[in-house]
Amino acid sequence: MRRYEQVYILRPSLSENEISTAIENTNNIVLGDQGTIIQLDKWGMRKLAYPIKKETQGFYVFCDFAGTPKAVAEIERKFRIDDAVLKYMSVKISDSISDDEIAAAQETAAAKASAADQDDESEDSPVAEDDADDSNDTENEDKQ
Amino acid sequence: MAARPQRKLFSRKKVCRFCMDKDLTIDYKDHKTLRNFVTERGKIIPRRILGTCATHQRQLCSAVKRARQIALLPYSGNTQG
Repeated sequence: MRRYEQVYILRPSLSENEISTAIENTNNIVLGDQGTIIQLDKWGMRKLAYPIKKETQGFYVFCDFAGTPKAVAEIERKFRIDDAVLKYMSVKISDSISDDEIAAAQETAAAKASAADQDDESEDSPVAEDDADDSNDTENEDKQ
Repeated sequence: MAARPQRKLFSRKKVCRFCMDKDLTIDYKDHKTLRNFVTERGKIIPRRILGTCATHQRQLCSAVKRARQIALLPYSGNTQG
């Protein structure tokens, strides 16, 4: 088993049912090949940094899983055929992952997800920090 | 001519941000942080300006490139907004 992260962008015009079936189909490929899903995260509708297939928005889905290279190849083949998928990217995180590591990763992913929910409530402070960093960057450039 | 070495003496030594702050991780999914390491036009800021160490700059570089692939960051164009 290898650990992969996969991000794919679905067409924004899809209905909720179509989105969930698309996600289910890809998950079934992983599960059908003795893989396990560590974390599935719907990032939701986002503005794309550049237009893809004439769309400026997309529905992002992130999936962290342990699977075989064959499953990844199959998923990518399906994505290329499927008109609903605008773009996809698969990243290999580690070459091998044991069952214990999978369980540990699942736990940390769940903990992170609950922490992220709490963060959403207090959104204001991180934005202010980002702005401060930006001004530092420009200062450095000026010195050069 | 004499003024030049003087100025150099006062220039602050840059240190790698990621080595100083262990909590700061490089992740292609975290495009808000990555925005700090590209110019307004979307180019990766070189190490000589940022001051990051070789290891972290390499990781940063691949993270930005991955973020570009899935349209979290633009290949070129305005990154702010």
